[in-house]
Parts: sequence; C-alpha cells; structure tokens
Amino acid sequence: MKYMLLIYVEENQGLTEAERQKCYQQSTVLAHELHAKQQFVSANPLHPASMATSVRVRDGKRLVTDGPFAETREQLGGYFLIEAKTVEEAIAIAERIPVASRGTIEIRPVMELPDLPT
Amino acid sequence: MKYMLLVYHNETSFAALGETVHAQMLEESIRLAHKVAVPGQYLAAPLQPTSTAACVRVRDGKTLVTDGPYAETHEQLAGYFLIDAGNREEAIAIAARVPGARIGTVEVRPVRDVPGLPTA
Repeated sequence: MKYMLLIYVEENQGLTEAERQKCYQQSTVLAHELHAKQQFVSANPLHPASMATSVRVRDGKRLVTDGPFAETREQLGGYFLIEAKTVEEAIAIAERIPVASRGTIEIRPVMELPDLPT
Repeated sequence: MKYMLLVYHNETSFAALGETVHAQMLEESIRLAHKVAVPGQYLAAPLQPTSTAACVRVRDGKTLVTDGPYAETHEQLAGYFLIDAGNREEAIAIAARVPGARIGTVEVRPVRDVPGLPTA
C-alpha cells in the first residue's frame, strides 16, 4: 500500500541553512535506503508556505490568493511517498525522517486507483 | 519546475455530494492527471479520509503516535498532484482545472530542488 508521509515543521525553527542542508542530506540517505528495499516512490521538500498560492473556483470564476491553505503553527515542509505493507511499517519509516524529532509526520493511506498514471 | 498541488475539501460536505458526483470528479481528475503527466515525474492520487490518519513525533528518542490528522481544519487534505510547470501562472492554471478546486481549495507549493534523490 502507498502511504503519504506529510512533514509538518515550524518554519521559523531557527534552523540555519547548514542544518537544513544536513536534514536534506539525511533525508536523501533515507530515501536511498527505502529505494533499495523498493519502498520509495517519491520525496521532496517544499519551498516555504510564504511562496504558496491558494486556488479556488467558484461559479466558474478563479479566485487566487497568496499564502497556504491554512495558517497553522507547523507548516507542510515536504513529503515522502512510500510503499509499506501496514501502517506500523509506515510509522517505522516516518520516525526515521530526520525532522520527525522537531515536527510532526502525518501518515495518510493513499487510495490506489488503476487508471492513474504512475 | 515541479509544483505540489494539495487538494483540500470539507470531508463531510464532500460525502454529501454522493457517489455519482464522486465518480465524475474522480474520472475528471484522472483525465487531468493523464494530460499533465510527465513520464517518470508525475504522481497523483486521492488520500483515504482523515479518520485513517496517524501522526508521528519523535521526542527525546521516543516515538509518539496519535490518531488523526496534524490539524483540525475546516477543509482536509483529500489528494495531491505532483506536476511540472513552466512557472507559477502555469501551475495555477492547472490547479484551477482540478475538480476539487470547485468545492474546496487547491494549494500550489513550489518544490525545492534537492539533488541526489532517487527516482522510483
């Protein structure tokens, strides 16, 4: 089963650029380990929420606003999309994501549909 | 440039729309996914509802797991598309075509390029 691991972290963490790069390096190592076990589908960090845009369409009209969908204390900073047999396995992967010690990893099972491109 | 499109809607309102509308929206989403697909780079799917979510935090070396999504918000994350677009405007135009944009919100987030990540 695929699981989406959503990485939430406070953006103004006082992480220096060097610390951030170290997090990315460690996450890349994790990604490769998962890849070797055929559990890796995708992973990416995201640019900050200040660079987000929210889009709604109402009555055929496009409404575009700057900023993320919601102002929460922790913001979505990246994700891992993985293959795991059970949610316990997904949890065991989530706890290895470096920033799990600073933020929150939300685990969401993915609905698998046959017609989606892979 | 890669963008993550995060599709949010109110799960209760969505459920009330009924199976026929769900099926239509899904079909439309799949068609859109095929159009904006870049082979090897494209991903999209709906997520199971937030009732199936779990949150993981590691503090002082201990793993803490709680049921439910990270935040209780009026709209919940229902799905995603990872797309390639030339610029922000193009990404916004694609977001506006996501059926979920008509009932909820599609958040467009540019992806940070980190070299060395594996491809699936």
